[in-house]
Amino acid sequence: MDLYGKMAATQDAKGKGEGGDQNFDYMFKLLIIGNSSVGKTSFLFRYADDAFTSAFVSTVGIDFKVKTVYKNDKRIKLQIWDTAGQERYRTITTAYYRGAMGFILMYDITNEESFGAVQDWSTQIKTYSWDNAQVVLAGNKCDMEEERVVSVDNGRLLAEQLGFEFFETSAKDNVNVKQTFERLVDLICDKMSDSLDSDPAVTTGAPTAKLTDSAPPLQQSGCNC
Amino acid sequence: MGQTISKPTNPQNSNLSLKRSSPSSNEQNMAPRPSIFSTLRRPLITKTNDFIPLFNDCISAAASRTQEYLLFKDPEDKFQASSEVLTQVFLMTYISQSVSLNMTDRFNCTAMTPEQRILLGPDWVWAMLEKPTKNPRIQIAVQVLHLPGREAAEENNISQEACTESIQIAQKESSNKTTYERMVDFCTSIGKDCYALFLFLGKKNDKGNIYGVLSNNFEAAIGKCNKIDRAFIENFFKGSRYLHTPPGMMQAIVTKKEGDSLTLMVKFS
Repeated sequence: MDLYGKMAATQDAKGKGEGGDQNFDYMFKLLIIGNSSVGKTSFLFRYADDAFTSAFVSTVGIDFKVKTVYKNDKRIKLQIWDTAGQERYRTITTAYYRGAMGFILMYDITNEESFGAVQDWSTQIKTYSWDNAQVVLAGNKCDMEEERVVSVDNGRLLAEQLGFEFFETSAKDNVNVKQTFERLVDLICDKMSDSLDSDPAVTTGAPTAKLTDSAPPLQQSGCNC
Repeated sequence: MGQTISKPTNPQNSNLSLKRSSPSSNEQNMAPRPSIFSTLRRPLITKTNDFIPLFNDCISAAASRTQEYLLFKDPEDKFQASSEVLTQVFLMTYISQSVSLNMTDRFNCTAMTPEQRILLGPDWVWAMLEKPTKNPRIQIAVQVLHLPGREAAEENNISQEACTESIQIAQKESSNKTTYERMVDFCTSIGKDCYALFLFLGKKNDKGNIYGVLSNNFEAAIGKCNKIDRAFIENFFKGSRYLHTPPGMMQAIVTKKEGDSLTLMVKFS
């Protein structure tokens, strides 16, 4: 049984299980990774709390927030882990890659170095995570057009090469934040349904309805700011 | 003139003043130049440790304020500050003081979220920052320990915090280790430049003072099959005759050779 089969069989936890609000159909563990100061924490705060502050506080180690979303009448609980980008925390952060079903790999469009590090972060995902983990590449801070050093085309090209979906985002102006998470959830659901189709044995205890019954939303990856 | 000599040079400020004033060559020539002898009196090393006296000021303020609550005795014996409040009083006083002394660009303090406290162990992390990246060069992860009586009194009172979903998830994630072990794991995973400081707000035999055990080598105990618990940490005081002051502790940290181990006991109040 692969990851998605396992997850489908174990995460349908409505009314059972232990700890927290158990009234959900699925729980997805997501991670936000990328170089220090690209805006990972701001991105999560915007999504989870609809808040933004320009004050920079470097994340120590790891932190997380929980948010519940709905898809085709199913409650999906997102456990979103915010990781520190600094090298000194690498042992701690990579320990949390295990079991993650989706990653938002973030760079800063005004910081070439953070873009250059995307390949390394991708390797980290391959090394420490499951083979089937889904990844969205996010070029953050697209509100800072005047300071841009990474073009949209270069971002998109790299995403294609790595086999990732791509968005340019702004936590500050709330551009493509929700869309990035929604797309990642869609990708995980698609993968999960594929796994269930290819291995009917894993449907024992699995949800009765596919999460991909309706057409996926039209993707718009460019920055609208 | 003496003032000019003792003023620390700030290259950024120098650049700013040059850009703003744009003095003519005449004005530049007329500007007083420091005496050649002044260079002899200038310190050779830039003041990388000049935050230490400021750190001491912040600690003094935080420790004094906390002691007021630590020593409070309700005549009716019904009321006392909770452990959580004592920790907050210490940290809030420290932060207010460090902001007012403008030292946070060299030595900052990051309070952990409730989830981070459960996952990683520390209540807050002090960091000496590298210039110009502002990345931490040395870190001190601080976990506060309270008098056993105070902690036991609160065990039955389930705080609102304990009920939140994310707290329960964090507890589930870290359920196989004690808070002391998680703290040591956190520091060990970073390296020898990350110290664990267990800060005792009152000790059994001295309930009104604040002490600490600091080390970047607690993990050695794991190798010796010792369990890292409160008794293990308190045991350090028994074997030690000397207690460092907070600036002494900081001086020992910044002058220590890279990669070396350091363990010391500190009195903060």
